[in-house]
Amino acid sequence: MSAGAIDYSKTRTFLIDTTKCTGCRGCQVACKQWNQLKAEDTKFFTGEGYQNPPQMSEHTFTRVKFKDYEKHGQNEFAFYKEMCMHCNDPACASVCPVGAFQKTKEGPVIYHAKKCIGCRFCMVACPFGVPKYEWSKAFPLVKKCTGCYSRVKNGLDPACATACPTAITYGPRDEMIKEAEKRMAARPDRYVKVVYGKEEAGGTNVLYLTQQPLDELGFKKVTTRPLPSYTWQALRFVPGIFLTVGGTLSLVSWFQHRKDRVKREEEGRNNRKEGNQ
Amino acid sequence: MTAARIVINEIKGYHRFIKFMMVLVGAAALASAVRFIFGLGATTNLNDLYPWGLWISFDVVTAVPLAAGAFTVGIVAHVFHIKKLEPLVRPAIVTGFLGYSLVCVGLVLDLGQPHRGPYVLFNWNVHSPMFEVSMCVMAYTTVLFLEFLHPVSEKFGWHIPLRLLRTLELPFAILAAMISTLHQSTLGTFFLIAVDKLHNLWYNPLLPLQFWLSAIFTGLSIVIFEASLVHKYMGQPDESELLATLTKIIPWVMGVYMLVKVYALAFLSHGPLFDRPMLTALFSVEVIVGLLIPFSMFLTKRIRTDKQMQLRAASLVIIGLILNRFNVSMFAMHQPGQPVYFPNFIESVVTIGIIAAHILFFVLIAKYFPIFEHHPEATDYTIPDRFHRIEKHGHGTVSEA
Repeated sequence: MSAGAIDYSKTRTFLIDTTKCTGCRGCQVACKQWNQLKAEDTKFFTGEGYQNPPQMSEHTFTRVKFKDYEKHGQNEFAFYKEMCMHCNDPACASVCPVGAFQKTKEGPVIYHAKKCIGCRFCMVACPFGVPKYEWSKAFPLVKKCTGCYSRVKNGLDPACATACPTAITYGPRDEMIKEAEKRMAARPDRYVKVVYGKEEAGGTNVLYLTQQPLDELGFKKVTTRPLPSYTWQALRFVPGIFLTVGGTLSLVSWFQHRKDRVKREEEGRNNRKEGNQ
Repeated sequence: MTAARIVINEIKGYHRFIKFMMVLVGAAALASAVRFIFGLGATTNLNDLYPWGLWISFDVVTAVPLAAGAFTVGIVAHVFHIKKLEPLVRPAIVTGFLGYSLVCVGLVLDLGQPHRGPYVLFNWNVHSPMFEVSMCVMAYTTVLFLEFLHPVSEKFGWHIPLRLLRTLELPFAILAAMISTLHQSTLGTFFLIAVDKLHNLWYNPLLPLQFWLSAIFTGLSIVIFEASLVHKYMGQPDESELLATLTKIIPWVMGVYMLVKVYALAFLSHGPLFDRPMLTALFSVEVIVGLLIPFSMFLTKRIRTDKQMQLRAASLVIIGLILNRFNVSMFAMHQPGQPVYFPNFIESVVTIGIIAAHILFFVLIAKYFPIFEHHPEATDYTIPDRFHRIEKHGHGTVSEA
């Protein structure tokens, strides 16, 4: 959690234009290949429409969600690539008791499997439901999109962004926001006037442009405040409360025991007097 | 006769109920073995939608406030120096020690990498509520263990540790209160991160304060509950006169808790409160059965003398707390449209086994260690010796120290 020094406007960011997504799922395949993830045994139509597999899992870090809708009496598809949002101030990193998650200065939020104790607090905390667990193992770890940190560190773009023929643009966050706003201004009828991820959870490194209202597409409504601030507003009092409770109770006990002490000393004095006589 | 023979004969002499508890604990041990062989996914109903289930909701989030009797009675009896309550302290400490040890057992089962538990000591993340709770639970279990050594030393006649422990009695009571304040409240902080998940009836920034306050009055209620049952079923002396003191303290804490709850609901919640009938029902049961009814019972004069009523009011408070912790950590975390989580057979067997283990070990410890014979009139509390005393009695105790 050394996020303080990071300049978020320069962190590497995905701009995903869902209006340009063709639903080819090249990103899913590229992700599996680069991260060497197992294939999942799946069936069509277990999720919504053609979406497959039905949800992200320990073997699937990203997938394209399909949304059927009707436009001018015609059936249409909307696509939305689901993945880790790589928050500026990630909830997973703040709640992890051993600091197994790290916001890198390049942008990706990465996971140090060697530190993880497997408590799954990250899964409870993540507003986007991203971290997944190796439920099949006796000693499971967490799995999630790495933002292809190993590639980004070496000057490459992430696997999914490289594979995508149309929809993903990758670059510094401020430039991506500018690009998104430019597109919205140029084609106002094509986009709803929101960039999902610009404010959500205090800002993320994945930005979405869409045609449909966000909730219709299945985007979660998420607070715009960085999530760690919600717990920190209570946790920051911890040292103070610890000392206050200790101090108060010590004082109380001193007063409460004083009566006894005084009595005992008086008795002692009397006894000694008697002894002297 | 070999040692094993003696143990077997001893066990044969136990009451049927104790044997039944042993069976339950054994079943839980088997079930835990299954968890370590086949993994969490195969043995529990947990999944990516429900990363936390019964083992966290009961074995940790609920069990910790249920074990709060030790620190609350410690404050009342030692810090506020109400000496007559001394007989209540030891059973409470045993309960607390067992409770926290079993919380650790529950955590070991639930963690994916239990052998890495000590990593928390070396990779500090002060922004994590879980870090704080882990540190506190480790520290407090140690304190409770040391406090528990008290009857153990008495039993075996270890004089020097006994003197040391008696000297440390008050500092330990204060330390216990300090640590407990932190982790009881921080268990509430856990759920502050679930800002868009936990329902508004429970989500508000004062959740940690509410968790702390409810732990205090539940801790005291647990003491009443336990003392009543021990009197009823284990033939121990009737302590209802002492419990009357606690029944005077509890309504104050409950009152403050209810004020905080009402204030938080009225002014600090965001969004609709009563939009989901199921949650509204759970909330009403929690507030009416777990708060209003016992609160009004504690306000009556009758409860000071009526031990039946004491037991009933305490039980209601405990039920209310259990429901509250389940509401926060499980029921109100459920999102509309999601499948509902329900603990499976193995999860339930383990949790039942943990409760059974608590009862079993409590009864066994009470059988072999001086837990109840701790009445102030029978015990000399003036140790540690002041120099005056040694002077008074000559050389008697000098060699011992």
